[in-house]
Amino acid sequence: MKSHRIAAALLMLASVVVAPAAAQDSRKWSPPRTPWGEPDLQGTYSNRTITPFERPANVNGREFFTKEEVAALERSAQQSGGDEGRTKGSRQDVERAYNDFWWDRGTKVTTPRTSLVVEPADGRVPPLTDGAKARAAQESKQPAFRGVGASGGRGTDSWLDRSTFERCITRGMPGAMSPTAYNNNYRITQSPGFVAIEIEMLGGTRVIPTDGRPHVPSRVRQLMGHSVGRWEGDTLVVDTTNFTDKVLYRGAAENLHLVERFTRVGPGEIDYRVTVEDPTTFSKPWTIAIPFITTGEDLFEYACHEGNYGMEGILSGARQEEKEKAKP
Amino acid sequence: MSGHRIAAAVIAAAVALVSPTALAHHSFSAEFDSNKPVELKGTVVRVEWINPHTWIHIDVKKADGAVERWMIEGGTPNTLLRRGLNRESLPVGTEVVVDGYRAKNGTNRANGRDVTFPDGKKLFMGSSGIGAPQDGKDPTEK
Repeated sequence: MKSHRIAAALLMLASVVVAPAAAQDSRKWSPPRTPWGEPDLQGTYSNRTITPFERPANVNGREFFTKEEVAALERSAQQSGGDEGRTKGSRQDVERAYNDFWWDRGTKVTTPRTSLVVEPADGRVPPLTDGAKARAAQESKQPAFRGVGASGGRGTDSWLDRSTFERCITRGMPGAMSPTAYNNNYRITQSPGFVAIEIEMLGGTRVIPTDGRPHVPSRVRQLMGHSVGRWEGDTLVVDTTNFTDKVLYRGAAENLHLVERFTRVGPGEIDYRVTVEDPTTFSKPWTIAIPFITTGEDLFEYACHEGNYGMEGILSGARQEEKEKAKP
Repeated sequence: MSGHRIAAAVIAAAVALVSPTALAHHSFSAEFDSNKPVELKGTVVRVEWINPHTWIHIDVKKADGAVERWMIEGGTPNTLLRRGLNRESLPVGTEVVVDGYRAKNGTNRANGRDVTFPDGKKLFMGSSGIGAPQDGKDPTEK
């Protein structure tokens, strides 16, 4: 047997070994119920993970990392704060910001899948439609920048040129339910007919009725959309529509439609899935699966606006640079 | 090339591609100037334990004896609170060394690229086992 075939066989074998344990757990374990008989999802959770969002090109066609790759990824995350790859005096180095003790992006592969995107099968967000590409080209004509990502913007003339995340407004949906470099914490609380999800990053609580009420009329538009929930067996299914045109999640805005599924798969984990659909933006629907792991810890306030000296620093820095350029 | 060396190469390549990119709440490169690195040695006079970013105020003694007040930007305090640390963990009077970049607006503000004690130990990293990633810069990590 040639050596590369041995290697391939080993890798395949290892992927079988680390195939989803969660699915097996859910058969053995029956989730707790609230006193009023609904599945009990309550608790505090973290969704931090070092599993990549989309499947990296060099693991093409492979759904799971091998055990060896998982170990190597976790080792690399432990050491990622080093000076390796950092060039002093570079924009990249400034963007790296500070010592790793401030970060909390996790050091664990919480799912051995090679991507959080599980549908389509290639693990990547499907291509944008022609209409979405045409809209992106017109984006600079919008009165405010609508992107939701960190470290982004279209300029420094006004706070309106900066991303909604920098402006302490929103990371959009499903951005607000996706992991980032810190504050990846959530608290779920239930009462008869309602599920509340507190989000630590940027703050805010999603209040989701499960009493069978319909969506609000389509003229009502909200930054986080309008959510209604229902129970399907042990799974909370949340349908969200009524988004605004004021924020863009990967090019999608008011036509975004999300279906989220929360299933407790063991005492310490919720299997969270969200299907993203917008035929005006994505060529087909796609789904992300992110483990929400019980932390048992409290959530902390994130009073983003009152301490956002960074915005002042960005805008006043740009004014200072203009003054210096204007000097004869 | 033996089988295990090929496997190791495949793994290394997989790891290299998915290494995490850290992004703060806002663009540090829009706020701070990569052409103005600063090295500051000072004493803590105040800690603004606020979100989205902590600010450590320090007094820096210049060569001529004059004292300059600087503000150093750090990350969210939530991460440190979760590890059992709070604003009292960095008492007034503590000597620190800041390696960072000065604000573009020309004020005495800088980001704390690396903040350490004068002996090279990192702030907040004095006790082991708090779950913070290691970067090998603190001599106690080696």
